[in-house]
Amino acid sequence: MASEITNNGNGEMSKEERKVYDRQIRLWGYDGQKKLREIKVLLIGMQGLGAEIAKNLILSGVNSITLKDHTEVSILDCCSQFLIPRDSQERNRAKASMSAAQKLNPNVKVIVDTTPIEQNVDSFVTSFDVVIATECSPTTYKRLSELCRKAKVKLFIADVYGLFGYFFQDVNFKHNLYGEVFLDNKIYTDSLPAKIPRAYFLTSALLKFQSESNRKPNPDTCEEDVDELKSILNPTLDQLNISNNIFDEYYGELFCELSPTTSIIGAMVSQTAIKNAMDKPIEKYNVFFYDHIEHEGQFHLL
Amino acid sequence: MAAAIAGVFQPEMQNLIKESKVLLVGAGGIGCEVLKNLVLTGFSELEIIDLDTIEVSNLNRQFLFNKESVGKAKSHVAKTSVLKFNPNVNITSHLGDIMDTKYGVAFFNKFKLVINALDNKKARSHVNRMCLSCDIPLIESGTMGYSGQVEFIKKGVSLCYECLPKSEPKSYPMCTIRNTPKEPIHCIVWAKFLFGQLFGESDEDVSVEQTVYDGTETKVSARQWAEIIEYDPKKLLEKIFYDDIKYLLSMESMYTGKKVKPVLLEPSFFETEVVEYRHVLDSEVLTLEQCKSMFLACIVSIKQKLDICQNKCLVWDKDDDDFMNFVVSSSNIRSAIFNIPLKSHFDIKSLAGNIIPAIATANAIIAGQIVIHALRILSGKYERCQSVFLRELPNHKGQILVKDKFLQKPNPKCMVCSTDGEIVLSIDINKITVKQFEELILKKKLNMVAPDVLVDGRMIISSDEDDELDLYEKTLAEAGVNHGSRFSVDDYFQNYSIKIMLQHKEKAQEEDPDFEIFGNLEELNTAEKNNEAEPEENDEDCLIEKDESCVERVDDDLSISDEQAHDMVTDKKQEDDSVIKEDMMDSDPEVIKVDQEISNEEILAMKRKADEASEDINEAKKSRVD
Repeated sequence: MASEITNNGNGEMSKEERKVYDRQIRLWGYDGQKKLREIKVLLIGMQGLGAEIAKNLILSGVNSITLKDHTEVSILDCCSQFLIPRDSQERNRAKASMSAAQKLNPNVKVIVDTTPIEQNVDSFVTSFDVVIATECSPTTYKRLSELCRKAKVKLFIADVYGLFGYFFQDVNFKHNLYGEVFLDNKIYTDSLPAKIPRAYFLTSALLKFQSESNRKPNPDTCEEDVDELKSILNPTLDQLNISNNIFDEYYGELFCELSPTTSIIGAMVSQTAIKNAMDKPIEKYNVFFYDHIEHEGQFHLL
Repeated sequence: MAAAIAGVFQPEMQNLIKESKVLLVGAGGIGCEVLKNLVLTGFSELEIIDLDTIEVSNLNRQFLFNKESVGKAKSHVAKTSVLKFNPNVNITSHLGDIMDTKYGVAFFNKFKLVINALDNKKARSHVNRMCLSCDIPLIESGTMGYSGQVEFIKKGVSLCYECLPKSEPKSYPMCTIRNTPKEPIHCIVWAKFLFGQLFGESDEDVSVEQTVYDGTETKVSARQWAEIIEYDPKKLLEKIFYDDIKYLLSMESMYTGKKVKPVLLEPSFFETEVVEYRHVLDSEVLTLEQCKSMFLACIVSIKQKLDICQNKCLVWDKDDDDFMNFVVSSSNIRSAIFNIPLKSHFDIKSLAGNIIPAIATANAIIAGQIVIHALRILSGKYERCQSVFLRELPNHKGQILVKDKFLQKPNPKCMVCSTDGEIVLSIDINKITVKQFEELILKKKLNMVAPDVLVDGRMIISSDEDDELDLYEKTLAEAGVNHGSRFSVDDYFQNYSIKIMLQHKEKAQEEDPDFEIFGNLEELNTAEKNNEAEPEENDEDCLIEKDESCVERVDDDLSISDEQAHDMVTDKKQEDDSVIKEDMMDSDPEVIKVDQEISNEEILAMKRKADEASEDINEAKKSRVD
């Protein structure tokens, strides 16, 4: 029966692939899909947000994704890590995620890497087209940003705190580096206070908390952690003449990586990375915030 | 599960999450993501319903399914998949239609919250009515390509799903389809009809064939003729693409003025031997010769399917390769005859199947926002639950996830959620039968399931089969309906009632609509005045076809789009040309192109809505901070 449509047999997408990707090819075309098939991704951090990013990119049909995490599964992973089966015997996060991740799409090479990024040599990142990092320390982010800028590798850095989340991107190698935006107080000297988005204050305070305590705010110690955050945030707000209570509603929802927001930030990062792969970057901006109280997601250039 | 860990949520919220029973309607693109988010957040009393089974084209986004699950029930597989990462949750999965009478008020009343992750207007309207009548908060959602939205619906608090008019499915005048196609879509709609005529349950009212088939005085239908010639592919080809066109050309009045006359194909086109159809890439545009081979080949395959089919009647389906090839080849050959550009298999499938592009990321963003809305609703913060729109690209302020300025209040004139909802129906009471009234107006147009109708206190339609009223075949006039009659219509199943005031309007000409519905008498009067002042000037098609008898209009919704078909809330009157143009410039041209002919209007409505929402956003923020 002459009813099948196949490719020309020159190593193009198989008929099966076309069927699976049909609904997205109708959005970004065959050319877009072909570009995606060449992208090699390094994904650092396999907690809830990492799982979301892995899911979205594997479903979309990238060439390969390296799931990098040296840490062990924790009880808090149950808030958003859906790739790790509950009865998991493998305690390393990346290893425990491997099987479910690969099942999402057999066409994508899924690779597990359990070496801490801090132990990799600088040239490590150059073998990838895109690096996406989550759940690292602020100093690691700073180093990655400088490294990727030098190597001209596209970089996304994303984190979720409870229902709040943000990501940083460096895709055209022109705007401020991660450290300049979040760690060096450059923003305060560069911009008028009124131009600084509210979510920025919260993010930089959370990062300072992380640098000082070597961890994110934790539900076990929620009250102390909120007090600590306020003590970081309020002096800055006072200096800029901003009322201290603007974040009152936010503090109660900053613990763990919570699924609704890993879903939103994970998808926003993935989609922005996908658009990049198709040469349609959102390059005017370098930071995105999801504000869980205002229910808004906005890009900024900081 | 976040709610199982102390300190993640405030204690009150923690309990609400653990104890609230939630119904999720739909286990498709958005449904899979929402189910995952609900379960991870700690919701532990869930029911999920879906009537579909899993298809290969779902796998790029419906991540709870994989190759092995193709063909199985979505709701059951979704449940099994989430239990792997959280076994401590009570999920009841239903394989079924939410509009089934099984799921009545008693079923809905079990839930604290209902979430819609549906793909069609009819089911959305139905759940909307059920939730209004049970006074259960509802979260309504949808995505289309990169865009999407989340809406909160609660009786008396917000707009309901039916408070604002929805865009209607595109329709084409039958005479354009039959005689004067101008665009590829006209030929595609025609090809789908032709398929029904040859292989399906032919609808007598809309016949495509023009000529007398056996050359004698007795007329036979296309189906009968095809059976006589035993579906000989070459004879069909010649009949459809030569004889019928010749017949069209013989009608002199048909192609006057601007209209493009069909051009007969060379007779040699029909004489060549049957060559086997060669496969080509589906994104390439086929040549006329290739279309011919494809046509001849698929007729043979479809005939075989018809022979083994139980009721000797095939239903067109975009996912059947032979059926699809039939539409591709015949629409393209017809396009060539009418000097319309040919299209690729890929593009024709989009149009014929009304396929809406869908990606994992947009669904995940919308699903995340749905669950955040759910948390706000459970804690009673309704004022936080404005509609949220996901834009394709950030607006000038960088916003990509944008919310409405305010929670929009219910429309006091809404025929669904307002208690004194009354609509005006303009209709010819001497032409429409009681049965047509029930089927076309109450069920199809007004989305009812089991209506009872009283006219001035007398019952003319009953949902109870034991009531033998024997009025179905009578016209409304014969059933005692007059100009100015008031219908009181009740749907006990939906617990929905509406009053309809009837205005008799004679259907003088064939092209007059069978019926029209207005919000009130004023609207009807204005519409009539406008009609007199500028007769149909806005509709290009009508202008061109005016002197002909455009009998029926054809809804191009024959195949209901399967994936997240998005019905946007839109007020057409607000649409402004300049804004639309700007929007198109600002967006990704490739994407627009893909969607253009299916649902451009809906996309634009969505963008516009998102823009509107963003405009006064600063003000809203300021006022909140204050």
